[in-house]
Parts: sequence; C-alpha cells; structure tokens
Amino acid sequence: MTRDLARRVSRRSFLGNVGALLFTTGVPLLPVARGAAPTAARPDAAADPGDPQTCEYWRHCAIDGFLCACCGGSIQSCPPGTEASAITWVGTCHNPADGHDYIVSYNDCCGKSQCGRCLCNRNEGDKPLYMPFKSNDYNWCAGSKVGIAYHCSTARVVGVAK
Amino acid sequence: MTGRSEMIRPRRAWAGAALAVAACVCGPRGWAQLPAEPAGAVEQLTQPTPHWVWVNDMAFFAFPDGKAFLVDGDSGKMLGMLSTGYSFTSVLIPKTGAVIYAPEIYFSRGTRGTRTDVVTIYDATRLEPVGEIEIPPKRASLMPMPGAQALTDDDRFLLIYNFTPSQSVTVVDTHSRKFVGEIETAGCALVYPTGPRSFFSICGDGALLETTLTDAGTLARRERTAELIDVLKDPLSEKGVRRGDTWLFASFEGVLHPLRATGAGVEAQPTWPLFTPQELAQHWRTGGLQHLAVHGASGRLFAVVHQGGPGTHKDPGEQVWVYDLASHRRVQTITTRNKLGSIQVSQDSQPLLFGCSIDSNRLDIYDATSGKYLRTVESLGLTPTVLVLP
Repeated sequence: MTRDLARRVSRRSFLGNVGALLFTTGVPLLPVARGAAPTAARPDAAADPGDPQTCEYWRHCAIDGFLCACCGGSIQSCPPGTEASAITWVGTCHNPADGHDYIVSYNDCCGKSQCGRCLCNRNEGDKPLYMPFKSNDYNWCAGSKVGIAYHCSTARVVGVAK
Repeated sequence: MTGRSEMIRPRRAWAGAALAVAACVCGPRGWAQLPAEPAGAVEQLTQPTPHWVWVNDMAFFAFPDGKAFLVDGDSGKMLGMLSTGYSFTSVLIPKTGAVIYAPEIYFSRGTRGTRTDVVTIYDATRLEPVGEIEIPPKRASLMPMPGAQALTDDDRFLLIYNFTPSQSVTVVDTHSRKFVGEIETAGCALVYPTGPRSFFSICGDGALLETTLTDAGTLARRERTAELIDVLKDPLSEKGVRRGDTWLFASFEGVLHPLRATGAGVEAQPTWPLFTPQELAQHWRTGGLQHLAVHGASGRLFAVVHQGGPGTHKDPGEQVWVYDLASHRRVQTITTRNKLGSIQVSQDSQPLLFGCSIDSNRLDIYDATSGKYLRTVESLGLTPTVLVLP
C-alpha cells in the first residue's frame, strides 16, 4: 500500500537527497556516505531488476529529486559537468531479485540548475528535518564545492544492510 | 394628471432627438471617446485585509527564480508579487505590516559563482525593496516549511535556520537592520519562537534545544530538555503550528503533541490522537508540506488527511479534518476539490481556508466555517509551498 501510493504520487517535493544514518536495524551504520566513488558497470538485469529511469526502480525507495539516469548520468554517476556531492543520505532498499536489503547512497549531482526530468519522490524510511541524515528534504549539494545548485540524484549501492 | 402628462411629453421628444443626434455623431465608433490615460502608472497596495494570503513559490523547476504571490481571498485577485531568488522558502510579515522580510539567495552567475545570502526588506504597499541585510551564505536549502525561519514574538529579531550541513541559526536585528550573529544548534534543527527573546529547535534524539537571546540578539542561555519525542517509534512531523503559548505538532502516526512554553521552559502537554483506532486501521494519516493550520479564536485545528499508512507523511490529501482543541473531537470534515499539501486559515471571525499543493499552481479557497468551496486562483508560479498570512 505504502509503496503503491508513493509510486503513484508524483509530488514535486524535492530536493537533494540526503544521506543518513540507518536505524532500520537499530544499529547506526554510516553517518554519511562519501560521494567520490569510481564508476562501475551495472550488474546484469537479473541481479538488479528494473529500469533506473523510472521511479518504481527498487533503489529509489527513498529518493526525492530528478533521476540522474534521465539526465545524462546513470544510477551511479553524475551527468557531465556536474559535481557529486561529497556527503549525502543513505537509504535502505529491498532488492526483489536476491531478497537482500541494500544501503543505497543518494548522492546529488550539483553545479547546474535542475535537470527537470524524471522527478521521483518516495519516502520509505524518510524522517523529519531534525534527523538530517534520514531526511530527504535537505539539499545535500550544500556540502559540495560548487554550492547548493541542485541538478539530479543518483542511487548508488554501498553495501548490504545487515 | 392630464396637465402633468402634457408637460412630460415635450421633454421625451427632446431627449429622443438628442439621442438620435448622438448616434449620428458617434456612429460605429461607440458612444463616447475614451479619455487619455496617464503613462507609467503603478499600483500600490492598501492595508491588507484578513483575507489576503502570500503564496510562496520555491520554483523547483526554475530554482533561481523563487517568488511570492499576494492574493486577495475574497476576490480571487492576484495583488502583486515579489522576486525572491534561489531556493526560496517564504516571506515573513511583522505585525506592523509595514514591511516584508524575504531571506534570499543569489549566485553571481545565476546557478554558479559567488553565493550571496541576504534578507531583503520590501515596502509592504509598494512591494519594492527598501533595504537589504547581508547574512552568512549558510541558509538551509530545503523543502520549504514552517520552522525554517521565524520572527521573535516582538518582531525584533529574525531567526534563520542554517544547514551547511553544520546546524546553526542566523540572528538578524530588524531594528538596526544588521546581522547580529550566528548561534550554533549542533544536532538540532529549525526555529520555533516561544517569546520575544526565546525559541526552540528540535534535536535528532527527540530533545528540544531552548535558546534565549539577550536584548542585543546574542546568546544568553541555551538548555537542552529531556528527550520528549520518540523519534524512532513515531517521530513528530516538524511542520508545527502555534496557538498562543503552545506549539502543536502531529506525529507520523497521527498523535497530536502540544508543546507549551512556560516561564520554566517548554513542557510537553498530554498528547491526544487525531485518529481513532478504526481510522488508523483504515490508513488515515496526516500528510503534506504545511498540513496543519489553527484558528486561534475558535480553537479549531485544521489537518490535511489522506489514506496511505506509513511512509506517506508527505502525501497531499483530499480532506481537511477540523478538530476542537478543547474537546479533542473532530467537529467537521471538509472534502476538497483538489489534493492539498499546504493549508492556512485566516484569523478573523469569518475565516477563509486556503489550500494549495506543490503538484499544481492553483490556490483553492473555502469558507473555513462551513467548509464551502468558494473559488480557485489559477497559475500562481510553479511549485507553491508555504502559505503565509500578511
């Protein structure tokens, strides 16, 4: 029900997705996720099912913003000429292919105006602004060198949530 | 009687002749020439009525171009607009109503270059900038919502929440029109005024950070309460509303938490449920961006609700449930024409209920007492967020 609604609702809510502590297992994991990671090939579709250009894609369970895969980037890389935010929020999303919950880092890509394509807002596990590292209502380009100009958001797998 | 009729007839005949001449002279061009109109005319606003409202637009699809639209709820007429820069949250209106404050962000090259944060002061009748106060380039870029900024109760100091991602509050003196300083609020977010020199912030562990200012706007005292909110089990939405000395917050699961400011600090008052167990089972929840509004005199609380369950705390709703704050009972249900995420209610004796959603750029207006739909104002910016009363 929750997921269906979140997928249906196309709110222009916003911003830069935020990095976070993971309390879902009751154990804080990473306070932040670092953005500068080498680009890797995406796993095959059987292990990583779905279309990263859609809001329904499993890694987007707590994203809020424009999908970089629609903007010249990919699920794990920023579009040309933008800068990946150094810190961000991480969510926990369930991969239907292998049944594992993964830590997903929603690094924003910064330095240009909004991409404006594939806006997606899902709030599974999202918390209020007073829990910054669990809230997707902050613009995490605030932590980038180029400032708060928000362009789009990635959804990079960091690891398996245990 | 006969004589009177005879006296009238000649007059009618004369009038008929005059009309015929006029029709001949004016011909197809109409009845009269329009007078010449002065060039360069610019409107000025009158004193605001209780039914005016500011519709703040974060312009999420055109982030450098934030706006605030002023609308007359009675006529549905747009009265004017402010241009308010990048990642705009909302205007702030002091009680005198003479000026308007707008925290604004600008980049020297549009979306890049040097960032400059200012508080722009606008004349409230001409909607022209009459002053500007530069502040540290730290204002939180976030989803606009109540709590991102506020005036102290006497309107002397403007408080602006910063997130860099270090957390602090910028203090601006509205009398001297100068930046006073920055007060750290590490681990705690947003600003909720409780008096002329005090406000609280909500901390990530569920405590409150109470900050007291000196008369100069500097830090006088800072105290952290016990953990008042169970942030893991059922966090409070940060979108609170205030009635007198009490801030009202709804939790994700629909429990109302009154936080009352006393001389000894902020105290958590007894909570009460907005939903019955049956309604919760039917997945009723509050949701939206500014999902609560309160009418102070009547003690009515307005809440945007929807059926969605956990994780839908930002979803807009198609109903507004109205509660009596004294009895804690739901006294009215307003079914809205469109989904609403933000609501505001005027504070007069015949209040209007304003509603908008970030999904559309329209403002819907209802009679807040009867719940009757009155009118819609279309095409107000791109992504309207917070509604503010002048």
